[in-house]
Amino acid sequence: MAQSTESEFVTLVSNDGFEFIIPRSAACVSSTIRLRLASSKYKEGSTGRCNLDELRGAVLEKVCEYFCYNEKHKDQVNVPDMDIPPELCLELLMAADYLDT
Amino acid sequence: MFWFHLNSPSGTNRNSRRSALTDYLASNNISAQQIRDDWDRRQAEAQRQPDQAQQESSNAAEESRSPSVLESPEDPIKKRKREQAIARIKNSKEFAKRKARLTGDCDDDDNDDDFLALQIHEAKNRPKPGQLANCEICDKRFTVTPYSKAGSNGGLLCVDCSKKQKADEKKPPAKKRAPGIGRRQNQANLLDGLTPHGTQTLLETCIKKVADYIHDIEDFGDLPPSLLLRLGQILSRRRAVTSRTLDLFLRPQYTSIDLFDCAKLDTDDYHRILASMPRLTRVNLRFTTPMKDQIFHYMIERDMQIKDLHLDGPNLVTDACWRQLFMKLGHRFLSLKLWNLDDAFDNETARLMCLHCPNLRRLKLKFLHKVDNEMLEGISTLKSLQHLSLRFLHETETKTELLLEIMGSIGHQLETISLEEFESADDRLLQHIHEHCCHLTKLRLTLNSTFTDKGLAAFFTDWSNPALTYVDLNSLRDVDMTNPTGPEEPIGLASDSFIALMEHSGSKIQHLNIASCRHVSYKAFEQVFAEGKIYPNLKYLDISFSTVMDDYLTQCIFRCCPALQRLVVFACFKIRDVHIPRGLALIGTVGASIKIDGITQTETI
Repeated sequence: MAQSTESEFVTLVSNDGFEFIIPRSAACVSSTIRLRLASSKYKEGSTGRCNLDELRGAVLEKVCEYFCYNEKHKDQVNVPDMDIPPELCLELLMAADYLDT
Repeated sequence: MFWFHLNSPSGTNRNSRRSALTDYLASNNISAQQIRDDWDRRQAEAQRQPDQAQQESSNAAEESRSPSVLESPEDPIKKRKREQAIARIKNSKEFAKRKARLTGDCDDDDNDDDFLALQIHEAKNRPKPGQLANCEICDKRFTVTPYSKAGSNGGLLCVDCSKKQKADEKKPPAKKRAPGIGRRQNQANLLDGLTPHGTQTLLETCIKKVADYIHDIEDFGDLPPSLLLRLGQILSRRRAVTSRTLDLFLRPQYTSIDLFDCAKLDTDDYHRILASMPRLTRVNLRFTTPMKDQIFHYMIERDMQIKDLHLDGPNLVTDACWRQLFMKLGHRFLSLKLWNLDDAFDNETARLMCLHCPNLRRLKLKFLHKVDNEMLEGISTLKSLQHLSLRFLHETETKTELLLEIMGSIGHQLETISLEEFESADDRLLQHIHEHCCHLTKLRLTLNSTFTDKGLAAFFTDWSNPALTYVDLNSLRDVDMTNPTGPEEPIGLASDSFIALMEHSGSKIQHLNIASCRHVSYKAFEQVFAEGKIYPNLKYLDISFSTVMDDYLTQCIFRCCPALQRLVVFACFKIRDVHIPRGLALIGTVGASIKIDGITQTETI
């Protein structure tokens, strides 16, 4: 627990093994991830490493892109929507629903 | 000319000898004489021309100097044709337009005109799509398409060259939105509940994207019902629910369907909904104009397990069919919501509805043209009713007594009441609600100019009902145009009753609408939103047309309502310069300068 609160970055792992290292504050936009990281009961809490078995690499990449996009623009007005490739949007929709973002 | 020769051999006695052809021509109103005369004249002119041509040639050389880079030795007829074409172009609208566009850059005189006209002429004479042409840059031969680009010298470019050129032209400077330009869009977003800073959630972004590409999607896969509902809402709003997109929403395993715009569906589509979702218990369809009797017959035949029926505008369904539906399936109905029926559904049908749907918990009837006071009697007999929502047509005369009866008999079990536009209902209704209702969480009494401030204040004072969470009392006010301040004894929701309302419900209230309650005074607002008062759950507040509202009161509201998400202030013109907390949408300001955590936006109209 102590270690995880210190570390500034977290690792998100897709079901096909891709790892994405992003700032903790950005990842915590997702309440699913936030709860998993905050809990001391789960392994994620201590390691800062989240296995997202529901998402494949391409989708998780886009999710991480959104996390950073959101972090970057949170203080700006009239932010345009992030561009999403149409072929990914249904999968991403399911992912967003799961991650609660 | 051929005919002329036939006719001409003896020019002397033309009148006496007429050929068969001449007769035929005459019968068709063509005179051989005329043809011959014309020919003579043209011959004579042709002889005269060489002299003139010599004179003109010196002028022509001068004239042609300016635009004719492409000038090549041509025969005079072709040249004349081209000149005529150019003259025509000069008179055309397109020319005027292009000239207007150009004059910004250079305001030279005729030379430019000629050049421009020539350009247009060339553009018109370019090879048509499907023909072959040589590329202006690389000279390669290629097939012209409608998309072929024009080069700098007027010729066409081949695919490769036009790609190169496009790449050079691209990268226009990113447009920066000047403040004020996007006001309309900003206000539209605010009304949609989007706060003006930060990004939208990934979920919303994705749903919008899916809606954009709805026509390319064959199947939604395993979307959960909540997302399906949201997608249905967005597609309905874009009016994109058609027979084709309907397929995506038909899930045999789901028990509910919500479509908010069915205007583009036809009778077969309703059949499809019912047939492919046999387990439906909740049917919520709006704008159901093409729904007909057969659909109800189908429900009755299959004895469908429908519990919640919400329909907006099924005007082709007859009274007989409605009655049959209530008789056969009414015992299962738990909620019934109907809007906008003008051709069917009369008082008798309403009476049968009350008789055959004894288990109704929720009843909403809005804008049913054929029902009036008479149907109110039936409502008193619905012993399970918990939610009641009624709105008659504006013209319908309403009687307070019947409402009193309803409150007397079922008031104790009601959890929500919505009575809109019962204009003549008086304080007695308030007394009855006060007396009989003790489980209310939502109260909507709107568009009334009979309740008094005193009556409303008494209503909220010492009421055994716990604090309300949803209160809509908009447009409770006096409407005498000649006396805008209202009578001495205030009518409608005024200062005292507003204070009493907030005393009673302030602790739990989440949604409050007091738009157009214009007799609430500055002092009353000051008292309600005084320092130390707190309304921890209030998320939505509409105080439109409260003209006393100003910057100071607005700040007081923000201080007292920490959870506030939306503040609606249409026509509160004294709000000029406010600092709003993060995450709050301030809707309806005009020309006010709004500050959100250091970000300044000035609006202009």
